[in-house]
Amino acid sequence: MHELSLAHSLIDQILDLAAEHRASRVLRVRVTLGPFSGVVRDSFEFGFNVLKKEQPQTAEALLDLDTPDPTYVCLDCARVSVIPFALPGESAELLSPGPFPKKCPWCGGRQLSPKGGTELILNQLEME
Amino acid sequence: MCDTCGCQLHDHHHHDARVVDVNRSLLEANQRQAEANRRHIEEMGAVAINLISSPGSGKTTLLERTIDALKDTVSIGVIEGDIETERDADRIRAKGVPAVQLTTGGACHLDAPMVHGGLHVLEHFGRGRKFDLIFIENVGNLVCPATFDLGEHRRVILLSVPEGSDKPAKYPATFRSADLVLITKTDLLPHFDFNLDEARREALTLKPDLAILSLSATTGEGFTAWLDYLHGLLPR
Repeated sequence: MHELSLAHSLIDQILDLAAEHRASRVLRVRVTLGPFSGVVRDSFEFGFNVLKKEQPQTAEALLDLDTPDPTYVCLDCARVSVIPFALPGESAELLSPGPFPKKCPWCGGRQLSPKGGTELILNQLEME
Repeated sequence: MCDTCGCQLHDHHHHDARVVDVNRSLLEANQRQAEANRRHIEEMGAVAINLISSPGSGKTTLLERTIDALKDTVSIGVIEGDIETERDADRIRAKGVPAVQLTTGGACHLDAPMVHGGLHVLEHFGRGRKFDLIFIENVGNLVCPATFDLGEHRRVILLSVPEGSDKPAKYPATFRSADLVLITKTDLLPHFDFNLDEARREALTLKPDLAILSLSATTGEGFTAWLDYLHGLLPR
């Protein structure tokens, strides 16, 4: 559960920026969680929404999370593709046929290497 | 409702709201401390290794055997991360090596500020000793430690034979962040259906330039290659 400590450092970062910009209230926080960042979106959101209430400046801040789809490089044909994660309950047989789930849509190869996607970024703040 | 203008829009942007583009990492504070730790360790003349694995995959045993093999020629210091107890640090101290125990009291990973404190305590315990090699043994966890740079120079992920060869595919973020994967407890290979080729292939799919070694701390098989790897990191 490292999402809680990340949400905590986000709140600290926001409070610093609010002070720097002489804002009394943060209205909206835009954050990108990379698909291979190892951060669970729901847990992060939950942690943020609990912790934000501890400070009057962040108590009403809306968290706007962007979670881009994962990108892979095929080690067989070297082509790059974006293949979304299957959602729980979603039939994803085409995408996930085995334990190393995905296939290259270009050549059918199974050796898909994750490309980038480890970013955890505070993009933008809306304050007043 | 907007208090400023009385409109009914839930999502209303206030008239004096300002939008500020930030574009900074959420890990900025940790990253800054990690860079400071790295400089600190380099000023000490040392190289640091962050050891990450599941609980029970043999991190402390690996350190005990490594200390036995190197302690006459290499000055080693250890920072131990655990949720509770001094047991691991005591095992290392029994080998005559300074060890600092960081107990997180529940946190599932070490972060750079904790290691910063640990480095100062290690220097204190070392009483002026010069360190060549500092091991930071992370909290046993194959998920959370991957996100936090501690200021290490190399990250080594242990995967023990009883855990199964599917672990790289199941914990991609962690294995992708590795510089070296050490497959441990290879003396148990005859007793488990661990497939060395599968583990290697899946780890290399995640990171094609990953270094992979396998060893048994019990029989000593493969240990020389690990010691050579460590010697290769030491400042000449």
